[in-house]
Amino acid sequence: MVILVVLFYISLAVYEFVPLYKQKQWKDFWVNTVFWTVSFAMALLITLDVKVPSPAHPIRDAITSLFGE
Amino acid sequence: MYKEKITDKEGICLLTLFVMGSSLILGVGGSAKNDAWIAAIVGIIMFLPLMLIYSRIQALLPGRCLFEIINIAFGKIFGKIVAVLYIWYTFHLGALVMRNFGEFVDTVALPETLMVVTLLFLGVVCIYAVRMGIEVMARISTYFIPIVMFIIFVVYILSIPQYNFSNIKPILSEGFTTVLNAGFSVFSFPFAETFVFLGVFYTLKSKKSPYKVYFTGIMMAGIVIIFLTIRNIGILGSMLEYVNFPSHVAVSRVSVTEFLQRIEVSVAFVFVVCAFTKVSVCLYIACRGIGKLFNLNDYGSIVIQVGLLMTYFSFTVYDNIMEMMYFAYKVYNYYAFPFQVVIPVIMWLIIEVKVKKGIKV
Repeated sequence: MVILVVLFYISLAVYEFVPLYKQKQWKDFWVNTVFWTVSFAMALLITLDVKVPSPAHPIRDAITSLFGE
Repeated sequence: MYKEKITDKEGICLLTLFVMGSSLILGVGGSAKNDAWIAAIVGIIMFLPLMLIYSRIQALLPGRCLFEIINIAFGKIFGKIVAVLYIWYTFHLGALVMRNFGEFVDTVALPETLMVVTLLFLGVVCIYAVRMGIEVMARISTYFIPIVMFIIFVVYILSIPQYNFSNIKPILSEGFTTVLNAGFSVFSFPFAETFVFLGVFYTLKSKKSPYKVYFTGIMMAGIVIIFLTIRNIGILGSMLEYVNFPSHVAVSRVSVTEFLQRIEVSVAFVFVVCAFTKVSVCLYIACRGIGKLFNLNDYGSIVIQVGLLMTYFSFTVYDNIMEMMYFAYKVYNYYAFPFQVVIPVIMWLIIEVKVKKGIKV
């Protein structure tokens, strides 16, 4: 599975980054790179069954402490 | 860059499908039990003044999208912070709707398939739609809405024999406060989410139309939601608060002379269309927001990554369905209140003053 994810993300990088690089749109290129990295990391974590902390819990705790259950 | 334009009709269809979105899947006003339909009416009435505010904002600044309006109202630095908040809100909203749909499929149709597969398929379709642009999404919704309305209407007619109208009684047995509370939940869950539609309605062709589009869309979706809630109460009665997907369970009871049965698949089709519209609108606005925030040339280049992130996020946001239900009914309306009421009202006041003073915006 990990290999599939890596291959998928490499193909995405080729598909997305090469046109931006050729058109010299540096801002788009860098923003895209950041998003690519984050999304790649998330995909790897999900594939490796790592529990990613969810913001739903802190939001729920904050609301219930303010307004009650 | 090419300026996208949508007509009023397309705007209305998009708004209607958006509002029907996940509220059809989860049902509205569950905490009011058999008064849920009154809660839906109360929610719409609560939303009317806000609807006027939302359309007023758009009418004051025609042709400006949500993030430009934020920039005008709050200035450059504070505006960026508010823009980040709204990007987060739309991103989170899209992920929640996606998760609702994923849980629905996981529970009723494909229990042994990993949920991430369902989510990925929906996510890829939404990414494709958003990359095509808002015009395409609006046109898709005009093609889908007759089908959706037809299915809802036919299923409604077919389910009439299952009704038990004594389920509606006693009216207001739990007191009006319960209904008001549920009405607040209805107000924030499907209706006030339409604030993010300021990120779409700047593409409307005529300048005066935001009022008309907002009103017609909300009313169409509101009437559908009220009638479906009445149907669910009529069929399920006191079971309503114990089922996770009331519309689906209610329709699965339909049986016309033991010949026409199991028509809940048609309802699942409605869910797919509505969830698709809602997620793609949220994704579109989030991507446009990010594009505006970083001054990108085109938001299209980041859609794939943001859409994939949204999919992963929707997969990791809850551990199980009970958590999702708790969040949707008990937490969400308080969490979303600043995004839906506080910031828009402040924004409206600032813009009203600025336009009246003739400050060039």
